[in-house]
Amino acid sequence: MAEISRRDFFKRTIASGVAAGLVLSGGEKAAEASTGSEPAGTFIDMTLCDGCKDLDVPLCVSSCRAKNRERFPQPVQDIPNYWPQDKKEDWSDKKGLTTRLTPYNWTFVQKAKVEHNGRVQTVNMPRRCMHCTNPPCANICPFGAQEVTKEGAVLINPETCFGGAKCRDVCPWGIPARQAGVGLYMKILPDYLGGGVMYKCDLCIDLVRAGKDPACVEACPKGAVRFGPKSEMLAQAKGRAGEINGYVYGEKENGGTSTFYVSPVPFEKIDKALMAQKAKQPNPEAPGFPGMPVNPGNFLDTPNGIAAGILVAPIAGIFTAGYRAFKTMKGDDADDSQV
Amino acid sequence: MTPRSDKLTYKPDGNTPQIERHCLTVRFIHWTVTLSTFLLIFTGFGQMPVYRRYMVDQLPGMAWTSDFAVTLNLHYIAAAVLIFASVYHLVYHGLRRDFSILPRRGDLKQSYLIMKAIVTGGKEPPSHKYLAEQRLAYVFIAISIGVTIITGIFKVLKNMPSVSFSDGFLDGVTMLHNIGTFMVIFGIIAHLGAFIIKENRKLLPGMFTGRVCLDYAEHRHPLWCDELFSGKKGGDEEKLAG
Repeated sequence: MAEISRRDFFKRTIASGVAAGLVLSGGEKAAEASTGSEPAGTFIDMTLCDGCKDLDVPLCVSSCRAKNRERFPQPVQDIPNYWPQDKKEDWSDKKGLTTRLTPYNWTFVQKAKVEHNGRVQTVNMPRRCMHCTNPPCANICPFGAQEVTKEGAVLINPETCFGGAKCRDVCPWGIPARQAGVGLYMKILPDYLGGGVMYKCDLCIDLVRAGKDPACVEACPKGAVRFGPKSEMLAQAKGRAGEINGYVYGEKENGGTSTFYVSPVPFEKIDKALMAQKAKQPNPEAPGFPGMPVNPGNFLDTPNGIAAGILVAPIAGIFTAGYRAFKTMKGDDADDSQV
Repeated sequence: MTPRSDKLTYKPDGNTPQIERHCLTVRFIHWTVTLSTFLLIFTGFGQMPVYRRYMVDQLPGMAWTSDFAVTLNLHYIAAAVLIFASVYHLVYHGLRRDFSILPRRGDLKQSYLIMKAIVTGGKEPPSHKYLAEQRLAYVFIAISIGVTIITGIFKVLKNMPSVSFSDGFLDGVTMLHNIGTFMVIFGIIAHLGAFIIKENRKLLPGMFTGRVCLDYAEHRHPLWCDELFSGKKGGDEEKLAG
């Protein structure tokens, strides 16, 4: 063991005390977030994540799988096709797949090589549900199978989900993964209605409610995934981005999310690299390999704009009716004499 | 008293007298409600989502049906049109105090007698402007559309970023919206099914041209004709049946 000086000893003692204090106060805030005083957020520092390069499966991924194993789908043996189509979405023979999102793998790590400012850099990104502020997936679910908790987690109820996969279509990242042969539809008309159940990260809501961190946060050996009150996580992400002259992702995307990535390279370049990887996959159309599109709009932006028209409609109806009724009652309009 | 001839027009053949049954406003509202409701039902089913699953989107010209961005926007636009037409309808007839389509006391019995006469070939009891079953059907469809509109407004509000409702409330709203939709569909089927009965088909031109044959009106709606030709409103402002 290398000898340390008296000065070093005191410096390390103070540093560890500060670090312990930060950890403790961070833990306290995570618990506070879980009590509902503020939704929780996640800060993913891509300058720290190396994708657990010495391991076959990154620890955030293996811890998520271990934690949620009991909740993975157990479909029937003979899964019916989606009539009248001759296909179905079945991942049950790919349970071990850890390189994309599937019903059996709710988080994974993407790697991208990007050239920026004359340097080629490799970045790693743990990917899972972003837990958006106004999630279109939860809002437009026709079966009301999704909810946003006060902790900010977007949850899918496997008991009521019918597996229409609309949530995946309106998610800018296509996060929810569908497994056929399981869920409510199997009890109704499985040959003709329904598609299964959608699965994704639930932010380890049970742990969060107990004042603990999600499994992936707890497992990260580099401290690259941090968890706490959303505003604080965003402040930390912005602070870190300022330090490295980097970029923040997740603050504005889809109208705002609760997951903030900080990267030393622009996300436009990362997205391009990911899309190039996807295009080279055996089935580029297969879901579960999200890009990082910069500032995609929220699916509900346009409908919410039209909603103003819906609010104006009754007023327009009142004025039109008043005008027409007044005219006809005065006898000015012969065409409306008979009602 | 209004001269009878003032109320009459003739078919292009010049020999068949007609009277006006529905003014332009009523026809405009009817067809606006019809078109917006059909669009709402079609795009509403698109939210389930069913058109990709059942490959409707692979039919020529139907690719848009599985695009939620298109179907949801169309749903919202059609909803605005339906609300406009519904409010127009309520306020217009309210201001004119024209309540001839609202149920009257004894409409259930009257409906039975009309149906019995149709089945047995007997004589129908004399009707006002609307048949008793038309007045009852109106209430059914009005309630159904009202339920879908009110619940639909809550569904629109919950999609807004700053609005949130409890899950239990939203479950109830969604269920009522779906029930209301199926009631509307049932009402439309019954409404169109009424034209299977030959006697009712003579009412059809009224919804397009606004006019029906005088012979038909005098035979089936004598009470309305009396009111029309005497210039008195008759029982149209009678209080509603309980």
